[in-house]
Amino acid sequence: MESGLLRVDLSTGEIKREILPHSMFERWVGGSGINDWLLWEHFLKHDITCDARSPDNVLIFGVGPLAGVGSGIGVKGRLTFKSPCYGSFGDSTGGGKFPYIVRFSGYDYIVVTGKAPRPVYIHICNSEVTICDAAHLWGKDSTQTHEALKKELGDYPSEAYTLSIGQAGENQVGIAGVISDGWRIHARCGGGAVMGSKNLKAIVTQGTQGIKIDNPAGLLEWSDDFRQKLDANEAAYGFKRRGTLGAVEMYQKIGGNFWRNNQGAMFRGDEVNSDNWVKKYHKYSEVCSSDCYIACDGRYKIEGHESDKAQKYIGESFRHPEYLTTGSSAGALDVRDWAEVAHWGKITNEYGIDNQDLSCSISFLMELKQRDIISDRDVEELFGKPQSLEWGNMEDIEALVEDVVYQKNPFGWLFRDGAYHGALRYSEQKGQNFMKYAMYGKGGASFTEEMRAFPTWMNNMAVASRGADHLKGIGLIEKFQRRDLSKAYFNGRTEAADPTIPDLKGASSAVLENQVALLNSYGVCLFHWLLDPLSFAPESYYGEVYAAVTGIDRTKEERMLDGERICNLEKAFNSRIGMRREHDTICERWMHEPCPEGPYKGRVAGDMFEQVLDEYYEWRGWDKDTGLQTRKKMEELGLEDVADVLAADNAMAGESRSSRAVHVKVNVSDVGIPD
Amino acid sequence: MQEVRQKELVNGEVWYQPGDEVPNVPTKLFALQNLCTDCKMCEIACSLIHSPDGMLNPVWTRIKIDHAPQVSRVSKDGFGFMPALCHHCANPPPCAEVCPTDAFYYDPKTQAAVIDQDKCIQCMECVPGCPFDTVFVAPTGELLKCDLCGGDPVCVKACSTRPEMLNKGKQYSRLPVLFYEDKAAFGKILRQKPEARDEVGLMQAMLSKGKVSSAA
Repeated sequence: MESGLLRVDLSTGEIKREILPHSMFERWVGGSGINDWLLWEHFLKHDITCDARSPDNVLIFGVGPLAGVGSGIGVKGRLTFKSPCYGSFGDSTGGGKFPYIVRFSGYDYIVVTGKAPRPVYIHICNSEVTICDAAHLWGKDSTQTHEALKKELGDYPSEAYTLSIGQAGENQVGIAGVISDGWRIHARCGGGAVMGSKNLKAIVTQGTQGIKIDNPAGLLEWSDDFRQKLDANEAAYGFKRRGTLGAVEMYQKIGGNFWRNNQGAMFRGDEVNSDNWVKKYHKYSEVCSSDCYIACDGRYKIEGHESDKAQKYIGESFRHPEYLTTGSSAGALDVRDWAEVAHWGKITNEYGIDNQDLSCSISFLMELKQRDIISDRDVEELFGKPQSLEWGNMEDIEALVEDVVYQKNPFGWLFRDGAYHGALRYSEQKGQNFMKYAMYGKGGASFTEEMRAFPTWMNNMAVASRGADHLKGIGLIEKFQRRDLSKAYFNGRTEAADPTIPDLKGASSAVLENQVALLNSYGVCLFHWLLDPLSFAPESYYGEVYAAVTGIDRTKEERMLDGERICNLEKAFNSRIGMRREHDTICERWMHEPCPEGPYKGRVAGDMFEQVLDEYYEWRGWDKDTGLQTRKKMEELGLEDVADVLAADNAMAGESRSSRAVHVKVNVSDVGIPD
Repeated sequence: MQEVRQKELVNGEVWYQPGDEVPNVPTKLFALQNLCTDCKMCEIACSLIHSPDGMLNPVWTRIKIDHAPQVSRVSKDGFGFMPALCHHCANPPPCAEVCPTDAFYYDPKTQAAVIDQDKCIQCMECVPGCPFDTVFVAPTGELLKCDLCGGDPVCVKACSTRPEMLNKGKQYSRLPVLFYEDKAAFGKILRQKPEARDEVGLMQAMLSKGKVSSAA
């Protein structure tokens, strides 16, 4: 297994091609693992405490070895960078056809450094790389950019697919995402702002070069077998039809939704549920990422008769809204109409902005207004005009989205890095502590799901390397109360499946993080595995196809170590920045306020928090007091080189060389508010 | 007056002459429009078994997903997709008719019209010669057309909306995009879902520019 690596320095215009050797895959698996290593290497040469919007930051795109080879388990590309909004390690995943076609362009990994003097896009076509002027694209939204580039570059030698930013990225809004093919967003951590800060509007690829497969016959055989398993799986049909929307009902049952800035754990109103979506909205066609048997996405058009509010959006076409689009609008902002939810998904994707952080910023202010903590005058001061800040008022919400994207008013400036930093800045400005109403987890990242009742989930929000997040660790053992899964992962013990006790919750968090890191590094979609990690698509099954494609055959234990190594590298990055145990935390509401409703009413995350976190560090082999990695663990994982860097940076447990205190820079006063 | 042609084939078979009784072709590759999800599984699977030297490269595919013909290619909302596939036209196929070296022959087992690469001089006459644009050119200049994989087309097996998915999901019934079926069975399938037509056999469906069928 070898892959092409492209290095583009936008400051000098220098373009370099390198080959990633087989040994790189043996150590870092591929995809996100290799991305993490490239990021680590970059910041050995550059200042890790640099401003994430400066030319010193790096934008790395990578796609794993299993993407686009006909295995049928989806294709996911990954962007890795230092996050402008959270200030820590940042990465985000997205599908579409860009990560598929990029594999045939000759480069699986793209590293962009420096800053272009004017807006540019990078065109990669069969190993030939051109940096092109993007003046005509600047100001366009992601869909328009995609359409324009497709038209410009034509269908030869292959169709062109794009990775682009919308207006949010151009304006370097901290929570801006990067959009694949004009629709599928790499939302989290602010990759859009990194691209915007480099004056890079888009990356376009076309390619007709081959991928070397170690054992094509083995791959075909595996693929046949996988198809048969999929045919026998009922859950796959539900997933095909509803995508992640089935989670709405599931969370209504277990009280896992996030309503009105998490003042509730259930959606209100009868309209927003997956049945209504499937029955009322006309699916014109299913659309996939490439190389996926499930096709949970679809193309829709609003015809006007679906609901009263649908009249406003007649003719609007969009893709299937997924759960977090729904959670951030129907949940966090209490929008009660599917047409409006779909519209919310569409505008946030077109502007290219993360709807999790954005909705929590808006719902934070809505709650302050609801509680009369801020007056109409305060609101006018923030927005420069009267603003209703009514729950569920879509016209207003749309205006607020624009405010953030274009940073039109003090609100836009304050909340450009999401709810946490926004609330912090606003508190400072008003001289009042509003942090009680800001919803965030590690790094200040917001997430629109209830977690007080689910200890593993709660812990994930506190420890995930890229800030509070759902795709670094998965809470499925406790949420579905899967005793069988608990037994399989923990030698017959079932405690992990019981969300009411703290036992094995930190352990689940650690083990599933390793597991997910591994799957992310394969370059495939997580959802096939999530359908049933035990019988349907166990991780070992992925190991087989990885061996067929790359020729790297691992035992189960070795694979889990691979996953753990990747997690430890991400952790090391954050340790170097200065993140310690005190940064592994969640917001006040989650920590101390009781869960307001649902089957787990009254549960407080703080009751179990420390215990679960201790257990997590124990399973990780990290130091419980500081949260730092230990040399013993790093040596077990073959990360001696990383350990040396950490020790030199004073970020290794028990190897403190000086009393130099390093802290994450959360500098509130440097935010300029325009007069 | 039509010239009566008798083409010698590599394997000793002959082109059938006008008026000859064409032996019953048991099965044929069909595609339904509008249901294709553009997942490219067929392209990848086809290129995987046809790419040389263990490489995987979609330019070696013999089936290609295109926008459905009834929807404009340049439309922003290109809703429908359709695999462009060889129809293994009846005797003699247009691609073979324009071939100056008579490099095409019928595979006696599957009745697929295939190219004898030894005879082919890569003049590319067959590319525009095919009315369905399904003869492709590999980077090496080699002409590629569907050979039905010797009777077990891998694209049909790989199609993410394949027949096996039809009945098992209780609430989720729909038709696959690709079929390798005999004509009678395919006719029956079409009667179940008349809006999904075979591209070749039922051109009139293409003309009805109305609603695209729902895949849900």
